[in-house]
Order: sequence, then structure tokens, then C-alpha cells
Amino acid sequence: MTMFDVTKPETAVDQTDIKIAASNVQVFYGDTQAIKDVDVDIQDKTVTAFIGPSGCGKSTFLRCLNRMNDTIDSCRVEGRILLDEQDIYAPQVDPVQLRAKVGMVFQKPNPFPKSIYDNVAYGPKIHGMARTKGELDEVVEKSLRRAALWEEVKDRLDTPGTGLSGGQQQRLCIARAVATRPEVLLMDEPCSALDPIATAQVEELIDELKQRFSVVIVTHSMQQAARVSQKTAFFHLGNLVEYDDTNTIFTNPQDPRTESYITGRIG
Amino acid sequence: MTDQTNNTGFDWASPSFQSHMKKRRRSQIQLKLLGLGAIAIAFMMLMLLITSLVSTGYHAFTQTHLKVEVFLDPEHLDPAKPARGNYRQILTDTMKTQFPDVPDDRAELRKLTSILSNGAQFTIRDRVMENPDLIGETVQFNVPVADTYDQLNKGLIDPDTPEEYRRLKNDEIANFELLKDRGAITEPLNTALLTNADSRFPELAGLKGALVGSFYALLTCFLLSFPLGIGAAIYLEEFAPRNRVSDLIEININNLAAVPSVVFGLLALAVFLGWFGMPRSAPFVGGMTLALMTLPTIIIATRAALKAVPPSIREAALAVGASKQQVVFGHVLPLAMPGILTGTIIGLAQALGETAPLLLIGMNAFITSAPSTPFDSATALPTQIFIWADSPERGFVSRTSAAILVLLTFLIMMNAIAIFLRQKFERKW
Ligand SMILES: Nc1ncnc2c1ncn2[C@@H]1O[C@H](COP(=O)(O)OP(=O)(O)OP(=O)(O)O)[C@@H](O)[C@H]1O
Ligand SMILES: [Mg+2]
Repeated sequence: MTMFDVTKPETAVDQTDIKIAASNVQVFYGDTQAIKDVDVDIQDKTVTAFIGPSGCGKSTFLRCLNRMNDTIDSCRVEGRILLDEQDIYAPQVDPVQLRAKVGMVFQKPNPFPKSIYDNVAYGPKIHGMARTKGELDEVVEKSLRRAALWEEVKDRLDTPGTGLSGGQQQRLCIARAVATRPEVLLMDEPCSALDPIATAQVEELIDELKQRFSVVIVTHSMQQAARVSQKTAFFHLGNLVEYDDTNTIFTNPQDPRTESYITGRIG
Repeated sequence: MTDQTNNTGFDWASPSFQSHMKKRRRSQIQLKLLGLGAIAIAFMMLMLLITSLVSTGYHAFTQTHLKVEVFLDPEHLDPAKPARGNYRQILTDTMKTQFPDVPDDRAELRKLTSILSNGAQFTIRDRVMENPDLIGETVQFNVPVADTYDQLNKGLIDPDTPEEYRRLKNDEIANFELLKDRGAITEPLNTALLTNADSRFPELAGLKGALVGSFYALLTCFLLSFPLGIGAAIYLEEFAPRNRVSDLIEININNLAAVPSVVFGLLALAVFLGWFGMPRSAPFVGGMTLALMTLPTIIIATRAALKAVPPSIREAALAVGASKQQVVFGHVLPLAMPGILTGTIIGLAQALGETAPLLLIGMNAFITSAPSTPFDSATALPTQIFIWADSPERGFVSRTSAAILVLLTFLIMMNAIAIFLRQKFERKW
């Protein structure tokens, strides 16, 4: 047994469905390769954690999953990434639609400089998900409740989202991401700007979100990875070194690099 | 700490460190003084400019008037055609009654009527045309006096200079003093400076034509350069692929912003007037010319403002599935708007003060009525200043300064709006 609490009972949901299947993924920034030969299957209704030292390519790989890397001119992605058996890099796939299905929460809270309501309502609005104001109100409330923010902001929905505290902003961004009802939620170090209480709230939220979505979370906190995830992938220098049940990774890592990292010797 | 050295082994109290500190402090003070000195010099220059303008220009803000009773003699006026009356004769008669002692001699009478501005007859005519029932009555008028008498009243003609070098002879001065003693001379605010168009006579000359001309020119310039500039900037910044061609375009736009304005004037002369046969002196063409100059300024300002929008906002919008166009128009552009507006206003302020290109397309013509459409001939503020500065009449000296002050007021107002916008919409993310 390690210092990590991994005794959490496994959830009963069926975990064999593969939501995202990535094979042979290479990512280049100009001439430098940031991701080398990564194969990973991300399961549905599961929390998958990406861990690894800084600069190892966790964010880069995460951003491949919703084609956010398309916005970087120098970035080139090779290999195959299937979402529900559909190649997301196929020419007929519209990245705009893909990103509605694969939501993302960023490391730094980035609410729009608009009202709290408009922040959450933006996604459903542009996708035409709500036909009436009433429906939209409902979506906003539900999303804010899911992000554990409703009670704090229900009386000031028309105040700017940028006026919230850092932790509230991050939860607002989560509410914004879940409002479009994504099938996969990508979270890039969502708690790095949060205090322990807000972190606990977000973790609770992630636990709840996995009932419906597949959640992928990048984190530098191994305690967090151990607490929230069922699967863990360890990246090192652009390689996927080890990918297994979180339990196994933290208790019985196969690769010496994984072991050094989780015991604090590299990173 | 009592010990001189601490456990890092560095002696913070050593003489060499102390002298290093002193040097740093000294160079900081020097830099501060240098900055203060630069600001003081700039401020002095500005004060010098304003003082010299105000000290010559303030004379033009008042205008000497003569209050006279005018008998609207039915003998010279036809109620059916009030516009065709002999107003000159009416004025001569009026002045004759003012000076009963002066002999009834053509030359003497002309001297008396020349106290009045040439515009006096039009003031009376306008009043009669407005109300023809006045014919046959005696009405009090307050009419401007001629420029030389205005100068005399403002103390700009020295009665001690020998008579032959003076623009007013002794008897003319005596006549004026007589009117002054009767209390008929007043010096009200010179509203004509803003409400009259240009005139050969300084006492009648005003800036209305120039103000309207500048307004039309700026409006044209804004309507052309603002949408075009923003459109071009959005395309270049957000949509254009980064390659040789876009680099070339970028370099050329930056160069265009540095091209002397006279060149744009020549271009306009050759293309707008020469090829397309557009009217000379028209504010619309002036505005098009100014738009050529303002366009690169607006493009550069807009691109800078777009670039300043943090990428996190774009990513946030993209990540919820917004299309590129939705990101640009829904998020980036609104956030960049204050910067764009500031840049635009500064560009327009620059255009307002621009003279050379307008001279080349003939906006320095002598035009005595304000334009009623942007296609009529007109002047603009800076070209009007140019015309007045070139005029020999003494009255135009102070009017030139006054016109510059008016122009500066507009420039300051526009820059104040730019600052206001910038502070009001200070980045809120
Ligand atoms: N936009 C970019 N252009 C060029 N190189 C980049 C870019 N983004 C990332 N890289 C490079 O790709 C590699 C992986 O970066 P990435 O951001 O994915 O690391 P990370 O694992 O998320 O690190 P951290 O934990 O610090 O966030 C790094 O070497 C980085 O320098
Ligand atoms: Mg990262």
C-alpha cells in the first residue's frame, strides 16, 4: 500500500465501452515532436487521468481529442483518433460540431466577459439546443447546479462572470462546458487555481459527471488522480509510458519510470 | 541581525555593496529627473503655442458693432420686391443723419459709409425680406463695422503714428470717436466667426463653410475607412493564411501609414479628379482622399486591438463549439472595440488636421457659402486657416489664430473622447 488512498470501491457501471480510441498518434510543433506513438483507449463513463512531468505532452494530447490543436498553425497531428468509431480527423468531420460533443475545461478559468447567465447559455444558444427562453433558463440552472455553483450565483445571474472568485470562475467554466451536453469532457488541470475546498467540490462534480460522460483529466496532483480516476495514463517525454487501472498504476507500476515519478523521483 | 555577514556568506553591509546601492539609487533619480525635464519642456512648448495663439486670436472672438437707427425709406424700397431695394443708399442716408455736420459731398459720404461693414446692407436686406411691413419705419440695427475700424476700436491702430503711415486718417478717427462717445459702438461676442461662411471682408468672414466642409469630409472618411479598415484587419488577423503574400500585404500597409500625405493628395488629384472626373473642392472627394490616409491607421490599430484579446477567450469560445466567425464577431471584436474606436478617433483627428492633400484637390478655393451637400465646393478647417494666413487684410491675422484655436478645440475634443472610451471599456477580463 502506498501513501495514496486508492481503496475507493470501483463503480458498478459497465466500463468496457470504448469511447475514444487513439492509435499511433504523433504530434509535431513545427519540426519538434511533442507526442510519439501514443495508443490509448478511453472508456465511456469513466474518469481517465493523465499524469506526467511538466512538458511531457499531456495538454498537447488532450487538445488532440477535440481538435483544439487545429488552431495552432505550427501544430500537426498524425495517427488515428476514433470517437465512437468515427475518425475525428476525417475530412468530413466538422471540428466545430466535434467540440460541442467533446467539451473542454482549461487550466486557467476563462469565463467570457459577459453575464454568468450568458456564459452558460452561450453554447446551447449557438447550437440551437433550446428553442424557448424557458428551456434555456432550465439548461442554465441545471448546468450551474451540476457545477455546484447554482446556490452561490442564482441571485446574480446577470452580473459579469469575470467578477466571480477564481474557484467560482472555474466552476462557471465547467457549467459552461456541461451545458452543451458533451459526451466527453476534457479537463486540463482544472483545479490548479483552486483552494482545497473548491478542489473538493470540483472532484465531487467529476465523480458525478462520470455517470453520463467520459471524463479525461490532466493533473499534477497524484492524490487527485488517485482520488477521482479509474484509469491513469502516465506520459513521459512525449511517450505514453504506462496506461492501466489507477489502482495498478499507483500500487504496482510496471515501468520503472512510472514508479520513479509517482514516488517523486522524477518530475 | 547583529552579525555583519549572514549565513549566505554575502555581506549586505559591505562598502562595495553600499556603493553599488548608491549608484543604483542615483541612476534611478537621474532617470526620473530626465523624464520630468522632458515633460516640462513639452509642456512649455505647448503653453507657448497656446499663449501665442490666444494672445493674437482673442481679438477675433469679439467684433465691433455700430448701433444705428435706420429709416427704411419707401422711396428706395419696393414692398413687392424687397430683395431689389437700394440698401446702399439707405445706409448712406443713415450715416448722413448720424453726422449732420459733415458736408454733403460724395467723398465725405463714402468715408462715412465705409465705417460700416460691407455686410451691413445685407443685414438690413435680410430683415426687410423677413418682414416687408417694416418699410417706412425706423428700425434699430446693430451692424458690424469695417475691419479697419474694428482694429481701431481694439487698439490695434496706434493714433500716434504719423498720419501718412496710418490706415485711418485723423478725420476718420474723429468720426469714429464721435460715435463711440454717443455710446453707439458695442463689442459683442463674434458669433459670426462660427455662423458665417468665408468672405473677402475679415469682419464678415466665418468658419461655417470650413466647419461644414470638414464635417462632410470626416464623415465620408469615416464611412469609408472604418468598415473597410475593420474588414481588412479582421481578414488579415483572423482568417488570412500566414504566408509570403500576407507578409507582403502587412509590410505594405505599414509603409502606407508612413507615406507623406501630399502623396495621397497627388494620387487623389490624378485618380479621383483626373480619371473619374469627380468635382474639384468637394468635401466628398476630400473625405475619400483622407480615407486613403486613415485606412492604414485604422487597419493597424484594429489588428493590434484584435491581437490584444487574450487567446484564452478564443479558446473558451472554440471549446464550446463556436465557429471561427462566431468567435470573431461574438467575442473578439466586441472586446477589441475600445481599442479600435480609439485608433479610429485618433486617425480621424489626424485627418481633421490634414492640409496638404486637401490643397491638392482644390479645397482651398474661395467659397462664400457653406456647402449644402458633400458634393458642393467647400473648404475645410485646415485649408481655411491656410487661406486666411495668406490673406493680406489685418483682420485675418487674429482670425487665423482664432481658427487654429477652433481646430485645436475639435482635436482636443476628439482625443478626449478617445481617452474616455479607452477608460470606460478598459479591459474587463
Ligand atoms: N504552441 C506550441 N508551440 C510549440 N511547442 C509547444 C506548444 N505547446 C506546447 N509545446 C511543446 O510541446 C511539449 C508538450 O507541451 P504540453 O503543453 O503538452 O506539456 P504538458 O504536459 O501539458 O506540461 P504542463 O504539465 O507543464 O502543462 C513541450 O515541450 C512544449 O514546449
Ligand atoms: Mg499542460
